[in-house]
Amino acid sequence: MDQFLILALDASNFVLAIILVAMGLVIIFGLMNVINMAHGEFFLLGAYAVVMVDSAGGNFWLGLLLAPVFVGLVGLVLEEAVIRHVYHRFLDTILATWGLSIFIKQAVVLIFGPAAMTVGDPIDVTVEIAGAPYPVYRLFIMGVSLAVIAFTFWLFFRTRFGLTARGVIANRNMASCLGVNTRRLDRMTFAFGAALAGLAGAVMAPIMGIDPQMGMGFLVPAFLAILVGGAGLAGAMAGATVIGGADTVAANLWSPVVAQIVVFSMAIMAIRLFPRGIAGAWRKR
Amino acid sequence: MLTLEGVTAGYGGGRVLQGIDLEIAAGTVTALLGRNGMGKTTLMKTVMGLLRPDAGRVLFDGRDLAGRKPYEIANSGIGYVPQGREIFPDFTVAENLLMGVLGKPANRRDIPGGIFDSFPILKERLDQKAGTMSGGQQQQLAIARALAGRPRLLLLDEPSEGIQPSIVHEIAAAMRAVAERDGLTVLVVEQNVEMVFDMARDCAFIENGRVAERTDVAALRRDDAPLHRYLSV
Repeated sequence: MDQFLILALDASNFVLAIILVAMGLVIIFGLMNVINMAHGEFFLLGAYAVVMVDSAGGNFWLGLLLAPVFVGLVGLVLEEAVIRHVYHRFLDTILATWGLSIFIKQAVVLIFGPAAMTVGDPIDVTVEIAGAPYPVYRLFIMGVSLAVIAFTFWLFFRTRFGLTARGVIANRNMASCLGVNTRRLDRMTFAFGAALAGLAGAVMAPIMGIDPQMGMGFLVPAFLAILVGGAGLAGAMAGATVIGGADTVAANLWSPVVAQIVVFSMAIMAIRLFPRGIAGAWRKR
Repeated sequence: MLTLEGVTAGYGGGRVLQGIDLEIAAGTVTALLGRNGMGKTTLMKTVMGLLRPDAGRVLFDGRDLAGRKPYEIANSGIGYVPQGREIFPDFTVAENLLMGVLGKPANRRDIPGGIFDSFPILKERLDQKAGTMSGGQQQQLAIARALAGRPRLLLLDEPSEGIQPSIVHEIAAAMRAVAERDGLTVLVVEQNVEMVFDMARDCAFIENGRVAERTDVAALRRDDAPLHRYLSV
C-alpha cells in the first residue's frame, strides 16, 4: 500500500510534466496546424537554461524563472524565422520542425558536450510519506505544474485573449475578417507553447540527467498522450494521465522496456476504441 | 468610398472577376445582383483580402488595399458578413459579439448598445450557444457581430439565404434603419429581389465577372427588365 502511494506520487510527477509538454503541442497544433517536432527540444532548452544560470553563478530558482522566458523567446524567433513560412503546408511543418529539432540538439552538443549533466536538488529536504522519506522537491514539481495547468485553462477559457485564440482555432479566416491580428496571435501562442515546454524542462531538471537527447523522452509520450486523449487541452490531460501513469507503473513493476511495450500497446488499443480520443468519446456520450 | 478598378481575381487558374469596375459612394446601400457563379462572392472575398487580385486595384477611402491582410482591412473600417454566416457555433451569442470587437483598438472593445435596438432577439439570448439558434437568428448575429466592430462599410453576402421570408423582411428593415441612423455604407450581394427592394437604393448587375449595368431600385420598380435579363426571373 505504501509502495503504491510512492509510486502514484512518482507517476503524478511524470504525468504533470507530460501534460505541460502536451498542452504546448496541442495549443500550437490547434492554432497553427503545425505538428511541432521540435517541442521536445524546447523541453531540453528549458533544462539547459537552468544549467546555464547555474554555471553562471545564479541559483536554481532564478534559472527556473528565466527558463520559460528564454525558451519562449527562442520560440518567438523560430516562429518568425522558420515556422511562419511553412503554415498552410502541413507536411512541411513536420519536416521543418524536425530539422529544427536536430539543429537545436546538435547546437547543445557543440556547446555543452554530449555527456549528461546534473543540477543539485534545490530543496534538499525530505518529508515522511507513508513511513518513507520522500523528496519535497518532487512535491514542488507537482505544485508548480498544477498551478501552470490551471493558469493555462484560465487563460484559454476565462480571458479575452483565450476567447480570441479559440475563435482563431475555430475559424481563422472569419476571425481575421473581424479584425483579429492572427499574425500576432500565432507568434504569442507559439511562444507560450514553447515556454510551457521550457518550464517543464526546467522544473524536471533536478530529478533527471540533463543530456541532449532528453527531449525525445517527453516528446514521444506527449504525442501519444494527444493521440490517446484527443487534440484539446482536456484531451491532452486525460491522455497524459493514461500514458504517463502506465509508463511509470510498468517501469516500476517490471522494467522500462516492458513499460514501452505496455504504453504503445495501450496507445494502439485506445486509438482502436476511441478514434477521436478519450475526450472526444466522452464528449459524444 | 469603395472603388474597384479593373479587378481580376479567381481561384487557381480560373478567373471569376474579369476586370471589374465598381464605385460605391459613401452612405449608400448598393445591391450587387447576378446569377450564381458570376463573381459576387469572389468580389466580396477580394475586397476583404481573402483573395489576392491578379490585376487591378481595390481602393477604400482612396487607399489601396493591395497586399493587406484581412484583419488590417477589417480594422480600416470594413465589416464582413460572409455567405453561410460563419458564426462561431460553440460560442455563446455574447462571445460571438465579443469576437467582433476583440481585434479592435482598446478604446473600441465594447459592444455598441445600438445593436440590441436593431436586433433585440440577441439581447434575450446572450448566453445561448450560437449554433443552437435558428438560421434567421444566426444571420442577425452575424450582422450584429460585424456591426459591433463599428465599420463604415458593411459587406453582406446573401443575407436571405436559407431564411424564412418573414425574417428576411425583418432583417432588411433593421439593416435599412441602421444604415440611415449611422450613415453606414452597405454593399449587399443578394438574389432575393424583395430583400433588395426592401433595403437597397442602388443596384449593380454583375455578369461574367464584370458590372453589366448600374441602376437604382426606383428605376427597377418602374421597369424590371434588367431583373429578367441578369437574373432570369
